[in-house]
Amino acid sequence: MILEKYDVAIIGGGSAGLAALRQLSKLGKQAILLEAGTKVGSKNISGGILYSKKPKKGQVTNVDELYENFLEDAPFERKITKYILHSTSKDKEYSMDLTEAHDYQANFGCSVLMTKLNSWFAHQAVESAEKIGGGIIPGVHVKSITWNEGKAIIQTDELDEFEVKAIIAADGVNSEVAEMVEARSKFNPTQLYQGVKVIVKLPEEIIEERFGVSSDEGAAHLFAGDITLNHIGGGFLYTNRDTLSLGAVYHYDSLIRNPIEPYALIDVLIKNPLVSEFVRDVIPIKKEIDKSLPQEEQLRIRFGVAKLIKTWKEFRESSLSPSGRQSLINSGKYKTNESIQERLSIIEKQMAEKFDVTFGTDYVETEYGAKLVPDGKRCKMEKPFFKNILFVGDAAGRGVFVGPRIEGLNVGIDDGVRAANAVARSLDKNDFSESFMGEYYSQLIEESPYTLDMKQIDKDYLKIFLDAAKDVPKDIIGSRYGPILKMMSSGTFRGIAVKFANILGYDKLLPMIESENTYVKVPIQLAERLGATVSSTYSPTIPSIADRIAKLNYNDDHHSHIKVLNSESEFMKKIVTLCPAKCYSEEGGKVVIQHEGCVDCGTCSQETEWKHPRGEKGIHYQYG
Amino acid sequence: MSLNVGVIIKLEPDFSEGNVSYNPDGTLNRAETKNTLGPHSAVAAQAAFYAKVMYGAKISIGTMGPPIADLALKQAQEISDAEELQLYSDKLFAGADTLGTAEVLRVGIGKMQGEMDIVFAGHRASDGETGQTGPQTAWKLGFTFLGNVTSYSVDLETRTIRAKRLVSLQGSPDIIEEVEAPLPVFISIDPTFKSSYNTISQRLSFQKYQKEAKERVKNFNNYYKIFNADELGVDKTLVGLPGSPTIVYKVERVPKSTATRSAEVVDGSDPKQLQKVVGKMKEALEAMVIK
Repeated sequence: MILEKYDVAIIGGGSAGLAALRQLSKLGKQAILLEAGTKVGSKNISGGILYSKKPKKGQVTNVDELYENFLEDAPFERKITKYILHSTSKDKEYSMDLTEAHDYQANFGCSVLMTKLNSWFAHQAVESAEKIGGGIIPGVHVKSITWNEGKAIIQTDELDEFEVKAIIAADGVNSEVAEMVEARSKFNPTQLYQGVKVIVKLPEEIIEERFGVSSDEGAAHLFAGDITLNHIGGGFLYTNRDTLSLGAVYHYDSLIRNPIEPYALIDVLIKNPLVSEFVRDVIPIKKEIDKSLPQEEQLRIRFGVAKLIKTWKEFRESSLSPSGRQSLINSGKYKTNESIQERLSIIEKQMAEKFDVTFGTDYVETEYGAKLVPDGKRCKMEKPFFKNILFVGDAAGRGVFVGPRIEGLNVGIDDGVRAANAVARSLDKNDFSESFMGEYYSQLIEESPYTLDMKQIDKDYLKIFLDAAKDVPKDIIGSRYGPILKMMSSGTFRGIAVKFANILGYDKLLPMIESENTYVKVPIQLAERLGATVSSTYSPTIPSIADRIAKLNYNDDHHSHIKVLNSESEFMKKIVTLCPAKCYSEEGGKVVIQHEGCVDCGTCSQETEWKHPRGEKGIHYQYG
Repeated sequence: MSLNVGVIIKLEPDFSEGNVSYNPDGTLNRAETKNTLGPHSAVAAQAAFYAKVMYGAKISIGTMGPPIADLALKQAQEISDAEELQLYSDKLFAGADTLGTAEVLRVGIGKMQGEMDIVFAGHRASDGETGQTGPQTAWKLGFTFLGNVTSYSVDLETRTIRAKRLVSLQGSPDIIEEVEAPLPVFISIDPTFKSSYNTISQRLSFQKYQKEAKERVKNFNNYYKIFNADELGVDKTLVGLPGSPTIVYKVERVPKSTATRSAEVVDGSDPKQLQKVVGKMKEALEAMVIK
């Protein structure tokens, strides 16, 4: 067997890994990207908003620079033009417009669905990569890395081993590469957020009408207050083209302190009257089939109703989207919008007359998913390299999360470019030593404006945030926070206060800012004192976790990729509650796993032997 | 060193759900049933594609059938990235049995670019089930015949092939036989054939040729040629009805077997009915436990 040799291996086909491949190819360097999923993007999930930024100091590479045709061709969802924070308490709601904070140093921020978008990134990146003998190999899971005379030998579950000069590790927050070479320890709960998300279907034009946006605009809504059920974090709702991303993101340690099923945090959000109204849609209601009919007749009715409802759903969705209507007209079957409307009412009439279908109000959930998010402030790798491996994005624990500022994708993409530049320089000099490549990459990362944002408060951003919060009664802040934050809320002392705060450092400041006061108590007080009353006309039917998991697409591996190490530990007992896919249960005092429904989030990785599933195995998201 | 690979395929009725239609007497309604590349032909095309990825083989595909059989060639090209597609179509060929078909295919294979090193055929047709066309074509060509091949590798230097064959004998467990033969060979491929690409370079060329195949299908007509009996230059006594010694003197319907089990339709949305199913399953499981 001949040992195949390549210049660079990129491990992981998320947006950071793909950015590295794209940049290396642009620089004329050969790279092979290994992706565990059947297709690039199918294992990725994000909140998510992708930003393009223009920092006042320093340079970043934005998505629209790396992919020049991004704005014209990329399948992103909507450019977010409204950014609202809602404080909730039962039926009271107080909103703060944070659009200015969202726009801070931003060219744009757009909602994205990762499966679709990463597949587009891959398509762009692979075009140039192929020309120089590189490319993307899907369905491959890396299991070990060893070294021979400075070259890395990569072993996978699927392929013969091969040799590379440099590796870019972009294998996400649960980086196995980092663990297998002991470049860093696993992130602990104080360094992580746990996010869960559902995709809600909603026709395009209903989204625009309901959220007050035009066809090229979108809205983001954040939630804090009683919907947190006393945890530190909050909810979010982003408008996509014809879906909504609805999720809950919480500090993992806060969940551990007060364990709760992650999906319960989404459920409470959906039940909030404001959110209920955001997600509502028209739902056909089938009539109960008469059980006294002959069985064949019952079956005939069941199939008939199902088929007609499917037709109605598809047709209605098209009729409420400009592109959908256009394609119906192009098909030649319909001449005008009116004739489309007419057809829709005919279908509805058929449903009512033939099968007694009625219409009601509810919401339509499609895909459930979960992910851990590294809190860059607390876990960015100080030394993001090991031998000839460079770590990027989530794998390096990088992201900027400060209150309503939520940026991970753009950081990963920029990291990917920086790593590619460092590797390209090493290829030119044929030096992949830590001192030449690793240290240089570390320096590039240090120069990143995002790194600075992970270290200290940006006072201009804070000013915008505090200005937006200017109507918040001073006594609420005074009673809840220490003198520094009180000073910050006053225009006169803000400058001094921020300087003082940065001297104190994030370590001392964060527990104050990221506290129950900020996410729970103050919002509840705000909603109760200043909030308007909201009501909803229906109560949403929320699927159980079993139903949510049953809808997901798995390529099941009989071999479990997770092994419980201590089935009686306190942590594992909490995992029974905290696993977003309900994979764990306690039987006779011992925690056992059934891995089949696992969504690869890594929530349990702290005390398990945790690996990603083998190539092509496990969860494959449709939206992501 | 080059490798020339031929594939013979067949357009068959699409037996997948919703595409097949029967006459009232239970025979296949060919006019109403959609056609597609036969599932075993598709495996043969995959096996040929393996030779392309591994050895850079040139691929030619041939089929005998009506003009609409170009659909099968198109589908096979998408799988195999073939550079040559031939349809042998003539009224004279109608009514052929497997031997009459094999004669047309033999002559057709002779028209393919270069001398063939390997010719692949499917295991059998889904509408004929005899599995004779392949072996008979091999015999007519004078090629070594390897049946039920599940995997293979070629040594381009020594011009030999090594193949694994699945041998099933009634009354004894299946065995895998590994054989070696000098080229040229004729292979009828086993339905369990799976191509495995174990190196980065193989995966990359797999992708490259797959992409190329998609492009080629778009320009299908550049690769496609149709031959009638004269253009092929077949001996007209050896093809069609005159070349077919088989006489079908009677077709009997397979008698419907009398049911030995009674089935019951269960409504999956009714918990009560499901409860009953669970009860039955429990009973069955308990019965299986050795006491």
